[in-house]
Formats: sequence, structure tokens, C-alpha cells
Amino acid sequence: MSITIQNLNKQFGNFTALNNINLEVNSGELLALLGPSGCGKTSLLRIIGGLDVQNSGKIFFHGKDVEHRDARERNVGFVFQHYALFRHMTVFENVAFGLRVKPKKERHIETEIKRRVHELLQLVQLDWLADRYPTQLSGGQRQRIALARALAVEPQILLLDEPFGALDTKVRKELRRWLRRLHDELHVTSVFVTHDQEEALEVADRVVVMNKGNVEQVGSPDDVYAHPASPFVYQFIGNVNLFHSRTHALWTQQQGDAVAYVRPHDIDISLIPQQSSLPVVVKQVRAIGSVVRLEAAIGQDGETVEIELSRERFNITPVAVGDEVFIRPRQIKVFEA
Amino acid sequence: MSLPHQLINNRKIATHESKAVTLVLITVALSYLLLFLGIPLFAVFYEALGKGWTLYWAALQDPDAWSAIELTLIAAAIAVPANLVFGVAAAWAIAKFEFRGKSVLITLIDLPFAVSPVVSGLIYVLLFGAQGWFGPWLQEHDIKLIFAVPGIVLVTIFVTFPFIARELIPLMQAQGKDEEEAAISLGASGWQTFWRVTVPNIKWGLLYGVILCNARAMGEFGAVSVVSGHIRGMTNTIPLHVEILYNEYNFVAAFSVASLLALLALVTLFAKSIVEYKVKDNGDRHPHGETE
Repeated sequence: MSITIQNLNKQFGNFTALNNINLEVNSGELLALLGPSGCGKTSLLRIIGGLDVQNSGKIFFHGKDVEHRDARERNVGFVFQHYALFRHMTVFENVAFGLRVKPKKERHIETEIKRRVHELLQLVQLDWLADRYPTQLSGGQRQRIALARALAVEPQILLLDEPFGALDTKVRKELRRWLRRLHDELHVTSVFVTHDQEEALEVADRVVVMNKGNVEQVGSPDDVYAHPASPFVYQFIGNVNLFHSRTHALWTQQQGDAVAYVRPHDIDISLIPQQSSLPVVVKQVRAIGSVVRLEAAIGQDGETVEIELSRERFNITPVAVGDEVFIRPRQIKVFEA
Repeated sequence: MSLPHQLINNRKIATHESKAVTLVLITVALSYLLLFLGIPLFAVFYEALGKGWTLYWAALQDPDAWSAIELTLIAAAIAVPANLVFGVAAAWAIAKFEFRGKSVLITLIDLPFAVSPVVSGLIYVLLFGAQGWFGPWLQEHDIKLIFAVPGIVLVTIFVTFPFIARELIPLMQAQGKDEEEAAISLGASGWQTFWRVTVPNIKWGLLYGVILCNARAMGEFGAVSVVSGHIRGMTNTIPLHVEILYNEYNFVAAFSVASLLALLALVTLFAKSIVEYKVKDNGDRHPHGETE
């Protein structure tokens, strides 16, 4: 089921949470809403799910206006940031909840409910926890139960609010690969909110980058990373060095005020000056796993430049703290200031 | 489990006091309790039973005593359910929704705690008494509130209405509305959400509030005294009946009836500690405790 969002606005008092959002979510895709906290991504998700109401604008599910359908009637599965599992119910009863509250004539018989709950628990690989209470589970387990509970009502759309936000790094990585695989199996149109660029780039089919209630860019993870549409996207996704045209006119190649954005791994170093290269002094050398990160200063006490080299590249030109080297960008993006 | 090093080395831990200090503090606390709670409680039963069981039973079987017990039970039986409904509704509104005038509502709920019970009784007399604002209208329609049972029920409700709401508001605020939102997004109706999600989450807090509310409803003296008119066998509750007997120098009977209230207090305390234990037990299931 596709989702179309048209001219959506949301205000909280004087604060604009969403500013004229237009967005298309394709049927069956996994879409990430990515942005810093307070950018409106969670508000957007809650409005899609019917948990909040927009001030103006329209939302269509598969071409149908959902304005008059509240959260109950939207057939949307919602996974909450802190799971919101029913604390007084067992895992089994949590997952069965959506089936048990159906109107009498739509409700399944008990044996059918049992079968379906166990099927879902098997899907999230936690069938053995059916009799536990939520407080007896780890964070990752709770998240998977929350997902199973949301899937129980066979939603047409799945909405996930910071699904991995409260988990530690290792569990987070496992769980997001698992979510990707699960999505490939189920093909439910899914939207998830995250502030973690790595998560968005790794899991999503498409990424929507948001900032201060606006959509900054929509595109594939590759697109968003390689071709940022605005200075904000450039800075928010990945590390970046900034060079102002006033001081580095050579690179920006522009008359007016402009800023050049260069990723740390897009910088080459050499020991001898080359065409349009910049002399810098190495201040710090840190080897982190497969890469070596250098911090260098332009001129005396000048701006700091971050440079990232692969270990092999570093071994060809080994430099030490205090060395003078010459840097040159391989790729550069200029935005007017 | 191994002891921390500080203990093994007999070194002082920042939050530990020496034996002498501990002993002094405990002694002070216990003697205080004994002086102000233990001795009076003992005295009630000692005086009541001082002349033997026969007189004790006789005092309790007096028709006026019975009528006082009956009236107390009626007042509590109306006030507690009324405040249960009001308390849950108010706490639900305050904890789960944002609306204008919320802080005013919270202040109003606290009002009976802030006002002296005698004053609350007087307010009702001023409103509904023969010379009160609505007095003439009530007389025309032959409705008697003041110096009658309805008045006693009304002031009892007034004096006890903060108990349940006050107990539930912080609890429901702490629980947030995530679970309710989850239930609704899973297709539950408002009533289904309330009965299946909200009520089970607050049941122990609710019971705790009911116990406290009931104890106060049965023990209230000041406000009830003002509106009751002290008509024997008609508008006397247990506390009022005790006062009358005492003023008549009928000490055995006074203490016998008073012992009922003391017993109620003991039962309340007992029930309260059981509920407290349950509440703690519920909250103590540790997030990562994989034990079963």
C-alpha cells in the first residue's frame, strides 16, 4: 500500500514541527526518515499512524484520503521507541491483543488465535518466551515482540519509531539486518524513524533527510551519501571538512561567498607540493581499525582538517605528528554561503 | 555474593553510622511511636475491656450504637464508590491529556486536604442549611440535607475525594500513554483500552487509594459533626457516637465503640502493607532479570 503526503503542516503552539511536507512512499518499500532530534520525523510518523492530527494537508493510503479514519481504523502497525509492551500481560497475550479486541464477528476462535500468535513468535524467533512477562526480556527481545504484536493484525503499513534507539551497538546491528531480511520476506510498506545515519543508509530502500520540519532530500542511500542536495545533508551524513571561499578561493572556484565541502576520505596527501595543493601540518595520527585518521592544521594555528586514509594508502606515505604534507581534494562540492 | 572490601576491612562506608548512633536513632523513633501511638491504642482496648466482656458486648449491642455503625457503613459505601469513579476519571484526564485548566483541576482536587474539615462542614451548612443559599428551595421541595443522612454522605464525599485521585495521578503520569496508544493502534476501542490496559496497570494503586479513602470516610469527625445535628439513633456516625458517650461519662461504652474504629485502623494498616508489598513486587521485576 502506497502513502502519499500532500502539503502537510503541524504546529505545536509557535513551534513548526512540520513545514509543508510532500512525500511519496512506494508500496512495499522500506523508507527511513532521518534527521536530528526535533526535526519533525517522529511527528510525521505519528500523523501517518493517526496518533496525532495535522493542522493542514492531506494523507492518502493507496489513493484514499484517511482524514476521517482514526488510529484504530487505519490498519497501521506501530512499533514504539520504548516498545510500549503491555506490562501486565505475557508475551503471548501481548501478541494476541490485536486479535482479541477485534469486533465479535471478525474475531477468530481461540485455537486460531493460538496458531497465529505462535506463528508470529516463530517469525521473530522468540516462541520459547511466550509465557514470560515483558520485564523479563532483554531490550532486543522486547523490540522483536513489539514487532510481532504490530504484525498480528496484518497491517498494510508498518511504522517504526526509532526501532533500535534504546539498544546497545552490537544488538542494534544484528537487529537491523534482521529487520531488513524480515521486510524482504513480508514486503509490508514500512517507514522507520532514526537519527542514526548508518542505520538509515544500511537498512532503507530510500532515505528522507529532514531538518527543522522540512524535507531536505529524498533519495537512495547511495544518492544521499554521494550527492547531498544541501549543506545540511552534507554535514549530517558522514564527516565533512569545510573550506571557505575567502581563504581557499582556489578550490571553490567562485567569485562570491561560498563554502566547499570535502569528505575526509576524499582528500589525497603527498609529501611534495602539487597543483592546487594546500600545505598542512599533521597534528594527530590515529589508527582506527582499517583506516587511519589524520588531523592537520592549515598554516600556523589554522583550521583543522580531518583526513581519512586506508591503511594501505597510509603505509605508502607514512607521516608522523609535526610533518608538513600537501593535501588535495579528489571530490568537492561547493554551496553558496 | 562477596562483601565489598570496605566491610571486610572494617572501614567506614560513607552512608554507615556507628553502632551507638544507630541505636540512639532507633530508640528515639521507637519510643516516640510507643508514646504517641502504642500507648493510646493499648488504652482504648484496656478501657473498653476493663470491666469485662459482658459490658463490652452490651455497649456494642445498644440500638444507638448499631444505628451509628449502620450510618457509618452507609456513608462509606456511597462515598468510596463515588470517589472511585471520580478519582479514576480525574486521574485519567490529568495524566493522559493536555487541556486548559488542568492545573486548576489539580488544585481543586487538593482543596479538601487544605481546608479544615470543620470549615468544609460549615460550607455545606451555609449552602444547604435552613438559612443557607439553597435552604428555602430545598424546604419548598421537602428535601432535607443538613442534620440528615444525605448531608453526612455529602460531606464525607467532599472530605475524602482527594485520596484516590491523588494516589492515581502520579502513577498514571509515570506510566505515560504509550501502552494506550499501542492498544488503539492495534484496533482496541476506548473502553477496551481502559479495561484491558489502563485498569490492570493501576489496580494496586487504585486499591491502595480505596483503603485510605475508606479509612478516612469511616473515621471523619469534624465535617460530619457540623452537618449531623447529633440526633441519637438517626444522624450519629461512630466517631460522633463515641463523643456523646464520652461526654456522658459512659467511658466503657465510649471506649468499646471507639475500639471498633481502632480495629478498623489496624485492619487498614494490615491491608495497606499487603498492597504496598504487591505494588513493590510489581515494580521490582528487573528489565534483564531472566530468572523464573
